[in-house]
Amino acid sequence: MSEGGISARGVRRAFGNVVALQHIDLDAPAGAVTALVGPNGSGKTTLLLVLATLLAPDAGHVRVAGFDPVRQARAVRARTGWMPDVFGTWGTLTCREVLRVVTDTHRMPRARAEARIDDLLGLVHLDDLADRPTQVLSRGQKQRLGLARALVHDPQVVLLDEPASGLDPRSRVELRGIVRDLATAGKAVVVSSHVLSELDEMADRAVIVAEGCTIAVETLDEVAERPRTWRVRALDEQSLVAALDARGIPYGEGDRYGREIEIASDVEAAEVLNALVSDGVPVVAFHPAGGVLERTYLALTEDRR
Amino acid sequence: MTWRLSVRGVRTVAGLELRQRVRSTRWIAVLTIWAVLLGLLTTLIRVAVHLAADIDAIAPGVGGGEAAAGDNVGDQIGRLMFGLIAFLVLSLGTLVAPALSATSINGDRTAGILAPLQTTLLSAAEIAVGKLVAAWTTALALLLTASPFILWTYLEGGTSPLRLLVTLGVLALTLLVVCAIGLGWSSVASRTSSSTVLTYLTIAVLGPGLPILFALCLPTVQQEETVRVRQLVPAGLYLPADSAPRCVESREQLSRTHTERIWWVLAPSPYVVVADAAPRPGDEDTALSGWDPLTLIRDGVREARLGPAEVEDRCGDVATTTRPDGGEDTARERREERNALSAVWPYGLAANLLLGLGFTVTAITRLRAPIRRLPRGVRIG
Repeated sequence: MSEGGISARGVRRAFGNVVALQHIDLDAPAGAVTALVGPNGSGKTTLLLVLATLLAPDAGHVRVAGFDPVRQARAVRARTGWMPDVFGTWGTLTCREVLRVVTDTHRMPRARAEARIDDLLGLVHLDDLADRPTQVLSRGQKQRLGLARALVHDPQVVLLDEPASGLDPRSRVELRGIVRDLATAGKAVVVSSHVLSELDEMADRAVIVAEGCTIAVETLDEVAERPRTWRVRALDEQSLVAALDARGIPYGEGDRYGREIEIASDVEAAEVLNALVSDGVPVVAFHPAGGVLERTYLALTEDRR
Repeated sequence: MTWRLSVRGVRTVAGLELRQRVRSTRWIAVLTIWAVLLGLLTTLIRVAVHLAADIDAIAPGVGGGEAAAGDNVGDQIGRLMFGLIAFLVLSLGTLVAPALSATSINGDRTAGILAPLQTTLLSAAEIAVGKLVAAWTTALALLLTASPFILWTYLEGGTSPLRLLVTLGVLALTLLVVCAIGLGWSSVASRTSSSTVLTYLTIAVLGPGLPILFALCLPTVQQEETVRVRQLVPAGLYLPADSAPRCVESREQLSRTHTERIWWVLAPSPYVVVADAAPRPGDEDTALSGWDPLTLIRDGVREARLGPAEVEDRCGDVATTTRPDGGEDTARERREERNALSAVWPYGLAANLLLGLGFTVTAITRLRAPIRRLPRGVRIG
């Protein structure tokens, strides 16, 4: 475990009789994006509150950037940026003022703060709204301001709770870029979400939680080596079916998106595609059905419905 | 960490709060309404007082009254007006001030803007004190708007500059305490409506509540006892018709109320603090002195603190200048005794400030993160 990241072992937290976190293990190394995945009410937000020094765990061992969030909260806060799921903002303040307040609370020198604010407003594309009060912002724009707010003090650890909710497609793409850049810059990033397809494209690792327990830790490269469903579509449906039959590859019902086939690994997928093409099938689409994470997630949480 | 208090931190929070408040409320409208209301009431009080004093004061022009009236009577009127306005500002101030702080913490929690502050380098104390400073600043703005009217009654005469300053100071500190009470409740109650109600209740207990409690407690300190009584024996009844009336002392069984045991119940009431803190007007011995509300309450509380006199004197009623027994004027003695008592207001003010401190400390502990025990119905964020 590198110094800059997060390490949590056996974290437990109950609210009265309700056990929100039962036994959570989470590692988020520096320089990687760790997805925190789980059904609603599985304890994702509670875990992030613990990591963000707001909630003391009942038991367990937690280190954020090398410090204990309970006993060394100040040191953790100086190194952690947290973007809450419920994003509130001081409505009558302008975007620039909101960020300026945050630089003040982190005791940043004025000149450095102003430069940082300009950078961040550019990063989240709010520069043209910089001097408008935040209450006129749309949900997605507020969300982007929330991201900028979490990054003001250039934290080593970034905790993003449902950062993509409310974002338009372009903003999602940009969010992905920002998150990847943070990881490249050596930050430890934790992103919670239940929109799995978007985590596929930004996460290196996934920690899957359900009912307050960590049930699986996956790296996305590993997941690619698992059997999964692919979707293949050809211009000529008949020649596709004939080729699949000839090669003894089972396939499902066809629709206008093509046919689903089960393939064991990415290597095998490449082989199947190669074979279909060499058989003269006019293939126009060949891709995994559903995200990598989605499949793992659905398989793991199947018995928990 | 929790208790660290830096000027920059407090200023950041207070600045944030004030900017939010100034921009989100129509504060100029609020201050204008406040000023118009006070102006109206001050004018009414002036007219009423002058009419009641049966002085041809409102006659030709505004402000011509004092010259027409005798100096002493004019001073009395000025003092009465000053006292009424001081109480009016106190009452309205304690009515408005809770609105400034009673929702500041739980309101922020509901809006999801408290946790982002808690995860910064600001300490819990800086957040709480910053909010208190912001609320108090707003309350002081109200007091400042009221000050022209207080000044007006001051110019009516009879009030010493010291009395003006002390009254303003005590008003300001009382508003601070009210703001702290609101802040404390807003950190304890999860719903803003509960904290507002609790704040008003606390202020109601302090203001009118304590005097009512005092009155309700009076029967508990009533006591049957044998005391010395001086009584006037008029000429012609037991005495020869041509002789002067005499004062006779006897012992009697009497039921007396020992207010000196419970006077302290009155002390923390802001009305008592304001009244008692105002230095007494100079012309103490005139018969007219003491009919302005401040002096009235001040003397009343000190009278309660003295309790019943050792000797029940009923001769004093007859003659204030010459007593039939030629003895000491006990009423005057009593007044001197009363004025010799140390002031009550420092205790009252100290009790109030202590209460305010307690509520502030509560708010700070409730703002501490990470939270171990989460109160029912509170959501972090």
